[in-house]
Amino acid sequence: MQINFKRSLINTVLFAYTLAAVYFLTGYFMGTLPSKEHFLDIDKIKVGSLLFLVMGFVLDCGSNWSSLKTIGDQLFSKKIEFVKTASNVFWKLHIYLVLILTIIASIIVVEFSFMDLFDEYGFQGAVRLFKGIFSPNFEILPRALHAIVETIYIAFLATFIAVPIAFFFSFVGAKNVMTHPVAFAVYMTLRTFLNIVRSVEPLIWAIIFSVWVGIGPFAGMLALMLHSVASLTKQYSEIVECIDDGPVEGVKATGAGILQTIAFGIVPQIVLPYISFTIYRWDINVRMATVIGLVGGGGIGTMLIQYQGQAMWREVGCIVVVIAVVVWVLDTGSAYIREAIK
Amino acid sequence: MSEKTTHLKVKNLEKMYPNGVKALKGLSVDVYKGEFLAVIGLSGSGKSTFLRCVNRLNDPTGGEIIFEDQDIASLSGSGVRKIRGDIAMIFQKFNLVGRHTVLSNVLMGSLSRTGFFRSVMGFYKEEDKEKAVEYLKLVGLAEKTHVRADELSGGQQQRVAIARALMQQPKILLADEPVASLDPALCHTVMDYLKEINKSLGITVLCNLHHLDLVKEYSDRAIALKDGEKVFEGSPAEINDEWFKQIYGEEARRVQ
Repeated sequence: MQINFKRSLINTVLFAYTLAAVYFLTGYFMGTLPSKEHFLDIDKIKVGSLLFLVMGFVLDCGSNWSSLKTIGDQLFSKKIEFVKTASNVFWKLHIYLVLILTIIASIIVVEFSFMDLFDEYGFQGAVRLFKGIFSPNFEILPRALHAIVETIYIAFLATFIAVPIAFFFSFVGAKNVMTHPVAFAVYMTLRTFLNIVRSVEPLIWAIIFSVWVGIGPFAGMLALMLHSVASLTKQYSEIVECIDDGPVEGVKATGAGILQTIAFGIVPQIVLPYISFTIYRWDINVRMATVIGLVGGGGIGTMLIQYQGQAMWREVGCIVVVIAVVVWVLDTGSAYIREAIK
Repeated sequence: MSEKTTHLKVKNLEKMYPNGVKALKGLSVDVYKGEFLAVIGLSGSGKSTFLRCVNRLNDPTGGEIIFEDQDIASLSGSGVRKIRGDIAMIFQKFNLVGRHTVLSNVLMGSLSRTGFFRSVMGFYKEEDKEKAVEYLKLVGLAEKTHVRADELSGGQQQRVAIARALMQQPKILLADEPVASLDPALCHTVMDYLKEINKSLGITVLCNLHHLDLVKEYSDRAIALKDGEKVFEGSPAEINDEWFKQIYGEEARRVQ
């Protein structure tokens, strides 16, 4: 059998994982695991991981030599075997083993406990909370409405500012527009940058901006706007990448300039999906603005966290009702519009 | 044709695609003013590439295309756009902008002489608008002026594409398999319009065709390409069974 890097890598990692899982689980159930401090030492972590990986590699070599059919073989080698021998189903057994070990380990890590779920004292607390929420105190309704309007406007402005920026970026971020080598470099840079922006949750951006411009709706708007630019650019440029080249060539062949080619060849094909994605993004932004309010982004979220902090569940109930109604209306409305313009 | 003046002189034209495929291997041909030249050959023989090199939708990798004392093959940027204004093209798949009206599509033929903002705002010159309506009448689609282009049938769309091409006031018209995606019964309407443009407006037509019958009926002259090289040049009537086998290969059979 020839040497295959991908196959060896996945086998080594999986064997190492299996060995480590068996070691820790056995230790856990036998009560022979060392103390937690022992595992927080970075040097011990390094040595331990390396040890398991080396053992995994040894097992991989062994399996290769004994022609056991491993998961790596199944995934990356072209050879197809029809005979059902014990060595040929080894990879299946290995998958089951990994899965079972992982389930057991995750139950232990999560501290999953039916005891806590049905603990009487805790259960009463939940009942109290739900009682409050289900008998909302509508005295604070005017303030809640004021706050939700703020939230809707935060979301609107964030979307409104993000759309033109994303519109411009969507062409720069489309592979079929940026064919020239220099343009392709710009494309890669933009994509990478926006991927990074997008992978940071709006919640984190809100924290950053609330330090930058101070706690309040402006910070929330900036966070949502940044996230919207990144998300919309990705969605928009995927639309641009899927367009039909025919009309573009047709327009180009008349001697049209680059901007005219975009305006007549590309824009008519993308305008409706763009509108659809934009409405959907506003819809998402309203929901996100609520969450962002929890960390000081202003609007209804900020109000919610204040009452929640004081355990005023009846007031929380009122806010939840307001949020639910607004989200439902926007959700239905945006779905209806998107369906209509399809 | 009493006297022949060369309109387009193609010399040793070569095109190699980035994947290494040589689509044209030193093609030389003279295209005469006002003629209807058919280009025939199997799929992959390089006839589409040839036409697309003439208006620089493809960039040639060698050779020259002389048009009005200019080498099209070595133009760049604005020069290419200017030449495209003079050399119109119609496509197998029509390549109209489906969401725009028929009139708007025809007006796109005047993009090369209209500024960006004028064109985007729809402020075309009055004379251009009149011309567009006139050309739509010419291709028999006057009553479809304000219909969306994607609501028309294939044959009608191709006629809109012809009107768009005429709108450019071209000197040469390239037609890349203009009837290949049409119902055979509708072929002749489109071909008839091409012929009429060629004869009454005196526009030189270069037309890729699959069907030999159409070549014989409509073209003044034909060239045949095989594997990127010219294997025949002459009158369509000269293409007998022997030539046919040479152009299309031993296994080919004529479809009646």
